Amino acid sequence: MDWSGVLDVVQRYILNVANLQGMLRLATPVILAGLCALITDRAGILNIAGEGMILFGAWFAVAGSYFFSSSFAGLFAGILTGLVIGGLFALFSLKFRANIIVMGIAINTFANAATIFLTRAVFHVAGSFSDPKLQGFGPINIPGLQSIPILGPLLSGYTFVVYLTWALVILTAVFLYRTPWGLHLRAVGENPQAAETLGINVGRIRFLAVMASGVFAALAGVYLSLAHLNGFVDLMSAGRGFIGMAVNTFGGGAPLGVFLSSLLFGFTDTIGFRLQAERIIPVYFIQMLPYLVTLAALTFFTVRRQRALKAKIATSHAGD
Amino acid sequence: MSSISIPKKSGFLTNLQRSMGGVLRRSLTIFLSVFLAIIVGSIIMLLYGQNPIMIYKLLIMGAFGSQVGFFVTIQRATPIIFTAVASALAFRTGVFNVGVEGQFFIGAIAGTYVGYAFKMPTIIHLPLSLLAGFAGGALWAFFPTLMRQKLGVSEIITTIMTNYLATYLISWLTTYPLAASAVTSETPFVQPTAVLPQFQEFTPFGKGTQASVGIFIALGVAFVMWYIFKRTKLGYEWRMVGLSSLFSEFGGINLNKTFIGGMLVSGGIAGLGGAVEILGVWRKYKNLFAVGFGFKGNLAALLGGQNIIGSTVAASLYGAMESGALGLEWNAGVPRQLIDIVVGLIIFFMAAEGMWDFLRKIKIARGEPARRTTENLEV
Repeated sequence: MDWSGVLDVVQRYILNVANLQGMLRLATPVILAGLCALITDRAGILNIAGEGMILFGAWFAVAGSYFFSSSFAGLFAGILTGLVIGGLFALFSLKFRANIIVMGIAINTFANAATIFLTRAVFHVAGSFSDPKLQGFGPINIPGLQSIPILGPLLSGYTFVVYLTWALVILTAVFLYRTPWGLHLRAVGENPQAAETLGINVGRIRFLAVMASGVFAALAGVYLSLAHLNGFVDLMSAGRGFIGMAVNTFGGGAPLGVFLSSLLFGFTDTIGFRLQAERIIPVYFIQMLPYLVTLAALTFFTVRRQRALKAKIATSHAGD
Repeated sequence: MSSISIPKKSGFLTNLQRSMGGVLRRSLTIFLSVFLAIIVGSIIMLLYGQNPIMIYKLLIMGAFGSQVGFFVTIQRATPIIFTAVASALAFRTGVFNVGVEGQFFIGAIAGTYVGYAFKMPTIIHLPLSLLAGFAGGALWAFFPTLMRQKLGVSEIITTIMTNYLATYLISWLTTYPLAASAVTSETPFVQPTAVLPQFQEFTPFGKGTQASVGIFIALGVAFVMWYIFKRTKLGYEWRMVGLSSLFSEFGGINLNKTFIGGMLVSGGIAGLGGAVEILGVWRKYKNLFAVGFGFKGNLAALLGGQNIIGSTVAASLYGAMESGALGLEWNAGVPRQLIDIVVGLIIFFMAAEGMWDFLRKIKIARGEPARRTTENLEV
């Protein structure tokens, strides 16, 4: 076998700087969607509304950017939308005791329809909206870093939202593991009754967690509409809200885990299209991979947790 | 005896009163929710610069006011009835089958394949194609069921994952192995021996619409499921497990069997719906020919109070509203998404049982701070 030929194929189609850059870009909305799933998951809430929240974030970011001619106005509009939708979601599912899954399905359906409707009502176009007045985020070249080979192009030249996302991964990790609030959040997720008896306000922590998840999801939308594309396209979230749940599961509910598993998604996305273009392997199988891996990981984690639980019960009985 | 209080009046009339009270309260909630949603919908229409009364009138006229509208209603309602009954069945047995979407697609492609790849007399071919749809949907539901039953993995996440697997699997199938030609992502047409006749093909009615006799299969399935739930031991077990799995297990119900049975039949019905949609309306599988039937079924089942009759009615109304909205878009230029907005709003208001209690509480005890308890912390 001619190994140099294999290496050549690997380098041409799979492992090269352009693909790694693509991976980091395509991973960004997935990381944010993953953080959206993470923050609610750690508070013990199954939030399937990420998909709808992303769409709302994307739409209002475009509106903000268009009407105020500033990409940062778009960003703030997106964040505000995330807070409002997250707040409504929390109000209905936590305060008004609506089933959270039902509410999630309702928000997703509502968001699909509402954003399509709003595009037609406000911008008078159907399907997609883009305009020269729309201010998107441009690439930021970091002086100094930029000229270092390989590392330079890998770390420099992304949009503001990408760097913000990286910062948010670190901040979320610090918050979860190094602050009392993070401790409270984890306690609420692991044993709400115990947390409540310790004087933690479970309801308030969960409410805030859902609002935070709204902001993360909305930021994923801001990235899609103002950094990835410059404009709004109907249903542009394309399942990323659900993928966020997958990367959170696959990443074991940890911010770094979410980051790394999102890179896996970004990578399969990037090389999928390259390999498809070269007719090496149908893109669909590559696209299936992350979901299969998530299912496998889910099985693995659950089995391990159950084993640990059984072992714990066994030892506690032995102690009697 | 003295410590236990027994209701003074008992007997048929009180029971009737009590159950009527439940139905009444439930109906009132639905009514109020729909009413609120219509109000909010009207505000949206006013902001859009349309007269809401005109729009609602056009909507109803579009769905029922003409022959074409009526047959389009039938066509749109058929698949949603299947997915709604499938969802209701799963919900009632305590499983959140969000995978109805994927099961519908897999059933559709399975039905298409058997429909075009074989040559047989109609009497065998058509039932076999439908059966393939049922089997495909059930198979697709099998894996998440197994994971939940054997490992305790939440079926919500696994069914969402299998929805995506279904989408990509079918994209591949229709682009490569089952493609009719190299340039299109669609299968060949099914054999004439496997199609479900459309009304316009054998009656003078429904010209220009794709409504097929599939509606009778849908209603038949709904009836059979209703009968099973109401009148058989199996249905009783399904209901009990949905109400309280712990209690049912103590009562001697085999949870594994019940769960797996309920989920597989739910997936199967969704798959059958997919096959009926292909054999009746499209007659070939175009890649991603229609997205969202599964989720609409989920919503219709929720609207219908998660019981079979309610879900069937809600699914039919959903179909009617879609039919009306199509006409609305064509005639008045109003986006048909308006309907999904209103449906979303209804679900919001209906699901929020606590909202109505909350409002009542505010009325009764103004200013009294709500007590915090450790109950109701599980969401």
